[in-house]
Amino acid sequence: MAPSTDWDEIKRLAADFQKAQLTTTAQRLSERNCVEIVSKLIELKLLDVIFTVDGKEYLTPQQLIKEIKDELYVRGGRVNTVELAKELNVDLNQINIYAADIVKSKEVQLVAGSLITHYYLEKIAREINEKLQLQGQITVGDLTLQYDLPAELLQHSVLEKYLGKLICGRQDPSDPRIFYTEEYITRTKAKIRGALMGLLKPTPISLIISHCNLAERLFLYLFDQLNAPGVLTGRQSGAQYVPSCYTKSQNEWVMNFYKQNNYLEYDALTRLGISDPKGYVKRVLSNEDLTFLRSCVIGSQIKQQLENALEECIASKSYLDVVSLLPSVLSDEDIDNVLETLLKDNLKSTILFEKTVFSNQFIENLRQACMPIVQKNAETIVNSGKYQQFCLEKQLAKSENQHQSHSFVDHKAERREERRKKASSGKVGGGTQGRETKTKAVKKHPRSKQTAHDSDSDEAPSASKKNQDILEIVSNEDVESVIKESLENEGLEDLIDQIAEYLQGHLNQTALALAKELAEKLLQDANQNRKQTHSSAQDRINVLINDIKLYEKGLKLFSSDQHAQFIKYLLKSFGSDILSEFCKYAANQCNLSVQVDVLSVDQRNKIMNDLSDEYMKPLRALNVTLGEQNIEQFYQAVDVCLSECGMILKKVDKKKDKILVQNHREKLISELENCEEPALVLHLVVLALFTILNQNMLHASGRQVPIIISFLKSQLKEEDFEKLQKYHELVAAYLTASDEHRSSIEEKLKEDMPLIKNLVAEVKKYK
Amino acid sequence: MVDEGTRKTLSSIPLMKTKAGPRDKELWTTRLKEEYQALIKYVQNNKEADNDWFRLESDKTGTRWFGKCWYVHNLLKYEFDLEFDIPVTYPTTAPELALPGLDGKTAKMYRGGKICLTDHFKPLWARNVPRFGIAHAMALGLGPWLAVEVPELIERGVVKYQEKSEEAK
Repeated sequence: MAPSTDWDEIKRLAADFQKAQLTTTAQRLSERNCVEIVSKLIELKLLDVIFTVDGKEYLTPQQLIKEIKDELYVRGGRVNTVELAKELNVDLNQINIYAADIVKSKEVQLVAGSLITHYYLEKIAREINEKLQLQGQITVGDLTLQYDLPAELLQHSVLEKYLGKLICGRQDPSDPRIFYTEEYITRTKAKIRGALMGLLKPTPISLIISHCNLAERLFLYLFDQLNAPGVLTGRQSGAQYVPSCYTKSQNEWVMNFYKQNNYLEYDALTRLGISDPKGYVKRVLSNEDLTFLRSCVIGSQIKQQLENALEECIASKSYLDVVSLLPSVLSDEDIDNVLETLLKDNLKSTILFEKTVFSNQFIENLRQACMPIVQKNAETIVNSGKYQQFCLEKQLAKSENQHQSHSFVDHKAERREERRKKASSGKVGGGTQGRETKTKAVKKHPRSKQTAHDSDSDEAPSASKKNQDILEIVSNEDVESVIKESLENEGLEDLIDQIAEYLQGHLNQTALALAKELAEKLLQDANQNRKQTHSSAQDRINVLINDIKLYEKGLKLFSSDQHAQFIKYLLKSFGSDILSEFCKYAANQCNLSVQVDVLSVDQRNKIMNDLSDEYMKPLRALNVTLGEQNIEQFYQAVDVCLSECGMILKKVDKKKDKILVQNHREKLISELENCEEPALVLHLVVLALFTILNQNMLHASGRQVPIIISFLKSQLKEEDFEKLQKYHELVAAYLTASDEHRSSIEEKLKEDMPLIKNLVAEVKKYK
Repeated sequence: MVDEGTRKTLSSIPLMKTKAGPRDKELWTTRLKEEYQALIKYVQNNKEADNDWFRLESDKTGTRWFGKCWYVHNLLKYEFDLEFDIPVTYPTTAPELALPGLDGKTAKMYRGGKICLTDHFKPLWARNVPRFGIAHAMALGLGPWLAVEVPELIERGVVKYQEKSEEAK
């Protein structure tokens, strides 16, 4: 059995073998052949296939599309064509060509080299939603980075398409690229509200934003919905949030400050964070009458106050320190401005020194106070001849000018002269009216050093001569010393200099005018005076000579041996008086100044030495005669002098002589009444008695008293004479007595004094 | 030695397991079965490789084999008859393959057209007894011989191409 089955099997195998041998051979082609065949086919357009990159495989387009789709699916719906090319081992161009076919189906789109299916976008949308819910906000920008997809695509095909379906959130209306969840918005709002509530002062938005960690755009967007307690200064990033409480308090502060102080300082406002103080003030205090200055604003109240003060100042003739009335914050410039407007209406009645307004009256008072010194100085300067000298020099200079230069200089000089005259004449003419012009000039140059001289300042060359042109009669120091006290009392020491300068200018003008006047008067006087002095000197000399003659007559009553001493005394006293008169007159004629009335011998000699020859000789001769006791010689000398001086000796009027004698007598008596000195009393009594008894005057010294007493013996009653004699003895004793006796004698003399005084009266009576 | 291609074909032919000749009754059948299987495999391999180069069949006992073999040279197919007997000492002795059509035409041949196998074949076979069978003999013996001898014979003009209807098919 077994063998047969074996053989059967062999048979079968043999059959199989035959079958195997008979089957057709697989037609195997070499690779080369295949490539050739396929390329031939493609060439003949009989075959449409795609090569793989390595060229070893062919694909039909259908296959490629299928593979691409498969790949897309495997990769979750998104595949890059480049990767696809690598993965499928197909040229990128081919992929791109067939990708375009795929895209036609609308299920898939080609974006930035990637094939993306709609279910991929859906997936992304879900992811985005998750993320959005997690983060609260999401921006397209972030998503583009994350998904490496164009923003456009994400925006339109994902976010906006699925918003409200797969994505629960909200698009930022101001920026469609940002999405929020409602919760996020609410949360942010709360955060912003909290921040804004907490702020008390203006804060830059950027600070708030950085603090709250927000996007600026979102902040601005939400701010509008918040009804925040404040306002934003702008919509830019540099804007500030100004809380209304801050604005309110700011306004309150401003209002309060203004109400309290009536002024507002820009600096203070700026410090409060107000960028445009002027505008702000205008807005806030729109119904106030404000004055805007450089550094601050002042209200009407201050102005009113100032005006009142000014009126009062003018009315009370005092001064007004503006600085004390104005807020201390005002700058100098501001004060000037305020003053300018303030003084506009009161220009005529006020003068401004620095910041102090003076009423004209006040200054006028000061000026009046200075007038005495002006007067004095003017007189002094005129009397001392300096003024005349100055005028002379000026005239000289002027004439020199005229000689040296051409006529226009002349004109100038004349003009200047005229002006000066005009100014001074104006001054002289009418005190206050003349001032008006001056005040204006001062207004223009309130602090100019040349207050009084500005009329000259346009002439440069003459400026240097100014000192020469203007004689300073009243110095600043003089004025200062006068006004100092009154100003110090007012506490205005600071302004002394300025006021003094101001006044000095005026006063000097006044003084000049005064001096001129005086000088003119003096000149007139001098002419007149010369005449006058001539005649008066003549008169005086006449009187003196007359006196001498009268006295001479008197002394002739005495015995001739006694004449000499009387004459000597007479010449010594009256003769020298005459000489003095001559000297004075001559000095005057020679323009020598004689200050004193009574000349000593030395002074006389000095004058005589200084005199011109014509006067010197006769005066010297006269002087010589004084020493001698010859009265005739004296008369001759006097005659010579008189003729030299052009004087004449008047005729002696006998009647007049009598009156003279009487006058002399009365004078002696009245002198006696007032006299208490014992010796002098005696002297006077004796002289009086002589005059009364002899109807003649006597000129005698005390030494000659005994002689006269003895002379009187014959004319007096016995008892009277004795009284006189006794008194005389007492006086003699008194004068010679030593100290211890002197007092006792003095008492006695005093007892007798009324007696002896009465004597004169009695004698006069019975005579 | 054999070239790389030959070695490869050789390795793809299944090896024999049974050592038996035509005298060993039962074992021979086993051996014959193995021979056939090997041949089938070989032919299949050849066909797959587009390298079919012979037809072979045997008698009932499987001791006598005959058929045809061919060689393509310059796009012309030269066909020769093939016959051989299984020697009694088979498988120790290799079968003597004969191409009677070429008898006397080449020096590499014994009387009766038995091909003169290379010096290498016999020791190779001896070493591989009993694992080598008919298929191996064909692949290692006849194949290389044809590849060497036929082009030379054609060159010498000893073998002429004969038009055959088979070829067209």
